[in-house]
Amino acid sequence: MRQTRTRLSASLVVSSLLAAPAISGEITVYSALEDEEIAAYLEAAQEAMPDLTVNVLRLSTGNLGARLIAEAGNPQADVLWGFAVTNILNPAIYDLLDTYAPESIDDLPEQFRDADNRWFAPIGYMGAFCVNTMRLEQIGAPMPQSWADLTDPAFEGEIVMPDPGSSGTGFLQISAILQGAGEEAGWQLIQDLDPNMAQYTTSGSRPCRMAQVGEYTVGASLSFVAMQGIEQGFPLEMVIPSDFAGFELEANALIRGSSNAEDARRFLDWTLSESAAQVYSENKALITLPGVPRSPLAAQAGLPDDLSEVLFPMDFATSGAQRDAIIERWRELVGR
Amino acid sequence: MTVGSTQGHLPPRKISRAKPLVIPPLARTLYLTSLWVPLIGLGLFFLYPLALIVQRSFVQRDGNLGFGNYIDVLSMGHILGVVRNSLVMSGLTTLICVLLGFAIAYLLQRTRARLRWVISIALLLPLLAPSLVQALGLIFLFGRNGLISQATGWNLQIYGLWGLVISNSMYALPQAVMIIQASLRQSDTRQYDAAMMLGATPWRRFVDITLPNARFGLLSAAFVCFTVTITDFGNAAVIGGNYRVLATEIYAQVVGQMNFNMGAVIGILLLIPTLMAFYIEKVAAQRHTSGATEGAMPVAPDRRILRDIPLGILGYGTAFFLIAVVATVVYASFVTLWPYRLDLTLRNYNITAQGGYGPLWVSLIVSTQAAAIGTLMLFMLVVSQRRLGRGMAKAVYLLAIVPVGVPGLVLGLAYVLSFNVAGAVPGMLYGTTLLIALCNFYHYHSQGFLTMVTGIRAVPAQLEETVTCIGGNTLQGLRDVVLPVMLPTLVAVFFFLFMRSMVTLSAVIFLITPRLSVGAVSVLRLDQAGFATQAAAFSVCIMAVVLIALGLMKITLAVVSRRPQAAK
Repeated sequence: MRQTRTRLSASLVVSSLLAAPAISGEITVYSALEDEEIAAYLEAAQEAMPDLTVNVLRLSTGNLGARLIAEAGNPQADVLWGFAVTNILNPAIYDLLDTYAPESIDDLPEQFRDADNRWFAPIGYMGAFCVNTMRLEQIGAPMPQSWADLTDPAFEGEIVMPDPGSSGTGFLQISAILQGAGEEAGWQLIQDLDPNMAQYTTSGSRPCRMAQVGEYTVGASLSFVAMQGIEQGFPLEMVIPSDFAGFELEANALIRGSSNAEDARRFLDWTLSESAAQVYSENKALITLPGVPRSPLAAQAGLPDDLSEVLFPMDFATSGAQRDAIIERWRELVGR
Repeated sequence: MTVGSTQGHLPPRKISRAKPLVIPPLARTLYLTSLWVPLIGLGLFFLYPLALIVQRSFVQRDGNLGFGNYIDVLSMGHILGVVRNSLVMSGLTTLICVLLGFAIAYLLQRTRARLRWVISIALLLPLLAPSLVQALGLIFLFGRNGLISQATGWNLQIYGLWGLVISNSMYALPQAVMIIQASLRQSDTRQYDAAMMLGATPWRRFVDITLPNARFGLLSAAFVCFTVTITDFGNAAVIGGNYRVLATEIYAQVVGQMNFNMGAVIGILLLIPTLMAFYIEKVAAQRHTSGATEGAMPVAPDRRILRDIPLGILGYGTAFFLIAVVATVVYASFVTLWPYRLDLTLRNYNITAQGGYGPLWVSLIVSTQAAAIGTLMLFMLVVSQRRLGRGMAKAVYLLAIVPVGVPGLVLGLAYVLSFNVAGAVPGMLYGTTLLIALCNFYHYHSQGFLTMVTGIRAVPAQLEETVTCIGGNTLQGLRDVVLPVMLPTLVAVFFFLFMRSMVTLSAVIFLITPRLSVGAVSVLRLDQAGFATQAAAFSVCIMAVVLIALGLMKITLAVVSRRPQAAK
């Protein structure tokens, strides 16, 4: 009798161990996406994969990158989700990633994924100006439409942009100008903008936050940061610069050595699925996945159906490789 | 001379410290435990992580070991300017905080000015409010579109050196006051009486008795103010404008450009100011100049108009400023859309950040752990290090004082490197509230240590030894001699660790997990997402919880400390 019971309970333990992964999986995801977005995506993911528990740690791109590098010896995350491509290309991060090609990876145009299948990016964001309309009226300047417009002396001491050395957003803006205008004209434009720049901030969202409370007139930041401010009712208008609208891709990747690789792959598959695309179209202005209808946000931002009309074709590999040199030169030029 | 004669025939302390009498085994065990537990803690949770950072600073880009990163950092075109900026900013802040801190500590400890409790509470505010929100409060008040600019039409320039000096002074001043106040507690009224009988004027008594006795506290306070502001990043990021400092540079290297090892180099360079500790330690060792004597009678606070009015202006003025900044934050937390729609609402208190108010309770657990563990460890260390020989005491002293020189960002990443390891046992702490608590404690270890060392100088060592010699054991000595004198200092350190743990961010941000986040991170998230008024609301909740917790602790303390008197 006793023996039977032991055997029975032992077999129960064994079967439950075997069954566990099939019944419910759990993965840890590191993400630099916005809180609100993550909530919307997770709701859809829950519906599509009810058996999968997704634990998300949300930090800004820079903090997350530092954490990934520090954890390199014993990675804690299974998936990297919505992380700036420029930062992924840094060898310190890139070397932490495993190769994985989701089934539907071929849907994604080649420029939006890694040749070695370490990452793919179905979504992204754009550089944008946050213009405080009340303050604009006060200083009597015309609504700026481009970086070139911002060299107008009327904006002297009224613009804030992120420091490219501290903020990925700042670097995105500088490299868009340099790639779009070419080396020489680009550096000239950066130099012409400098007298109007009141501050170069450490954070990429801070310029917009300053503009929305009327500390300065224009904050060079990102599209979603501007949308957040507008949604809350600040006297803010978003302008996608008509000359050099930089953009950044938000990439997904599998972390090497993941102990839940199977579930992690399942989650990565989902990020390219119809279910995810549905939520992208409600939350994102920049979607690289083909066939997804233009989002209301994109329409609100005045973006055309074909994004390639406004977006400069950025070369992330080049700007990543020259990053240190660009930042060094920029610091010398502005001297702050 | 009267002063000297009160020591009578008691042997000079130097000799009594070295006496290896027959120490009972229990006392010896107790002594060894109270020495080695905090020391092992420092080794494991401070020295080891720091060593990993030092190691990283020598890993060059090509993967080899060498001085490459140091050369790279020192040859950066702008580095000299940044170093100069840091020195100027921290120097100015230190000057302001030590002078003002001394005036306020004196006002609180030695005068009978009315409403001193208002100043005491005002000084708590910068410690218990998240610094991010405090900086926002300053901008809401003094910014280009702040309340004052709107009301007066002035074009104030808060961004830059002065904004940074003001916000960093708010951060450092309470810590300076805490330390200096501990040094003013240890006074002997007989010294003053003797001097008065010899015809010394109040000014002479101040210069010849008060200042020398406070010298150690003043030096320690200056040390803390300097190092704490040169390593602080939060204020520089929000209010520093274009005034770049070394802490911003670390952030740019590590977080901006992912040059982890270059950031480590700057972190190591920031340890240089902690070398000041050698000098302070030397002063501390000169115990005969200021050590308390048996039978010392504390100076009774008195009234003196000519002294109290200027001190009062400084004290109340500072308190008013601190309260105004926090009051602005509280006001903003009830406003619909700062600064455009100022109608009042409670909506901001419906927190939309991940986890709602959950992280606030995690903070409470973390802070209680940090304060309890920290106060106990520091007390043990400070009590036991008094009995150490000169060389060993010096080593302990320096070790205990270095943590203040490590920027939070560096400490946090060092903790990840140290405690995120494979294997169940060594990796056990990673992702727990206890590790966050320990990180917070060691982050603020130096301030707590310096306050306690300053405080314990008021305990007459002879008396402690007498109790032990006449048959009382060490525990009795602690209870009857050390504890009564040290109680206010212990409470101050406990509250300090508790408050800082509630709001510190720079190290903690690297230790949170998907399931474990703290209140300060929620405040940061809300601000980043543009919900400044919600960030203010969350901060107000943090402040309220801390104040309630402190109130409850004070009441408990009052009840507990009344008991022995009743027994007598």
